[in-house]
Amino acid sequence: MEYLASDKIAIVDLGSGDITEEELDEDLVLEKIGGAGITRFLYDRFEAEDPIVLGSGLLTGSLVPGSALSVMTAKSPLTDKVSHVPFVLDAGMEFKYSGFDYMVIKGTSEKPVYLWVHDGIADINDAGEVWGKDVWAAVDYVREFMGDDLIQVIGIGQAGESGSTLATTCVNYWQGGDRLGFGSLLGKKNLKLIGLRGMGLLEIAEPEDFVEDCAELVSAVKSGPLQGKKGIAQMAATLGAENMEDWIDPLTHRHMSCFNTPFPTNSFVFMDEDPALLEESKVEEPGFLLTDIHPLTLFKRMGLSAKDAFNVLKGCAKYGIDAAAVAELSEKAGNTSPEDIEKSLAQLKGPVDSAGNSVFSPWAWVGDQDPQAWERRQAVSYIFGIHPLFALLSSELTEAKLLDLASLGTELELTQETLDEVVAGITGK
Amino acid sequence: MGIKIDGLLCTACMACELACGYHRDDAFALLSSCIVPYRGQEKKNYVGVMLKEEDSLVAARPEGVEINRIGEEQDPDKEADASAKPMLLRESCDLCEDLDEGPLCIKFCPVDAISME
Repeated sequence: MEYLASDKIAIVDLGSGDITEEELDEDLVLEKIGGAGITRFLYDRFEAEDPIVLGSGLLTGSLVPGSALSVMTAKSPLTDKVSHVPFVLDAGMEFKYSGFDYMVIKGTSEKPVYLWVHDGIADINDAGEVWGKDVWAAVDYVREFMGDDLIQVIGIGQAGESGSTLATTCVNYWQGGDRLGFGSLLGKKNLKLIGLRGMGLLEIAEPEDFVEDCAELVSAVKSGPLQGKKGIAQMAATLGAENMEDWIDPLTHRHMSCFNTPFPTNSFVFMDEDPALLEESKVEEPGFLLTDIHPLTLFKRMGLSAKDAFNVLKGCAKYGIDAAAVAELSEKAGNTSPEDIEKSLAQLKGPVDSAGNSVFSPWAWVGDQDPQAWERRQAVSYIFGIHPLFALLSSELTEAKLLDLASLGTELELTQETLDEVVAGITGK
Repeated sequence: MGIKIDGLLCTACMACELACGYHRDDAFALLSSCIVPYRGQEKKNYVGVMLKEEDSLVAARPEGVEINRIGEEQDPDKEADASAKPMLLRESCDLCEDLDEGPLCIKFCPVDAISME
């Protein structure tokens, strides 16, 4: 595969410690396009070895607006379905540039390890130093050890290590898009984290036309209904959820985007610093990045103050447990004390409604939506590598436009019929 | 005439960095961009934009713009940003002189944090 790809699939066997590589066959792209289309194909191929499959979308890391998503595919311990969770912020992009398009992680390591994926190389490293540590300490460790603060980390905390089905895979210090218990899958494999860093280069088949089309899309998005909107509260309200601006905004420091995503879907809040501060804070951990709407809605409904709720979210991210599940179970138990909620994390158990029943993580389920239309949009996002929340907000990114861009970028004839078949293969519908 | 950056408006999406990389390499890459959001203080959410110009390194911080002349001795009491050294090795901004419509970073910035002055 010559364009928009590194042309490499890694097969990582944690049991034997062997790592092999395969080329990304152009025929596979013609048949499955990319992202979840190919991760599902690889999952099925290695199913007997209980794999976790990472993959980038065909347009991930490009100038197509919203090109932030890579995907993790595995069998969810909460739904028992082969499912897909997104990883965004800058981690999806970093995977795309790491030198691999897809990565199959199979088998179980005898001792705790982490994967270090960079510049076309994947290494299995000893994780003895970080096993038992929380997510934040693990991220700090790997960045300090490698001497690079820009390493993107998909990792687990103590929840994942203990095998809790509510364990989530965090992206760096923050809650990721994993509502499906994938953190426990990493824990069972003795895999503490995956560190990603890439300096790769993606060739484009028709660069001028591709980039011009991307620029037109950016212009359309900027002048569209999202104009001037920013942050997690406005995004929630735009998608039909409760408007939480009055609750969140007083502690908001700045609104932050995932990679090349025009709408900043995340809000950074300061609990231990003046939110109006412009200079670099002298406090080491002044706040938290809000990435997930659902637990915010629940904690607000339970009567927690914004500051208390944000501190609970921070505690959940450090422990590596899905905050939406924590909020749901705490509400059901009538536990509305932030201190008691944090103390209960190790005892909480599923199942939880917050896992949903789709093959896609319900992280991007916001407001009152048509389930079929939502699932279709998620599938398309996960195939092409588009931020799943931005995709819901941005009608400019039509399926026809994404197919046009994919064809311009790769020189492959990708049709609506192929896309329909790939979506059906992923969703089973 | 040059590029003006409002570091406070920036949401660190990196579109400018990728657009600049494309201008340099005719491909998608981030290694040669002369405009880079700095993201090294993630836990503190301290984010701005760095630009390599012919004679200077511009740091558009949230609290204001700082221009460091390349080659001049810096304040020894001030801690250098870890990302500053690789920036000095990169080509300077040429304002995308081969493009009629002007710099690509401006075109692709979704929040209009970059403009011409």
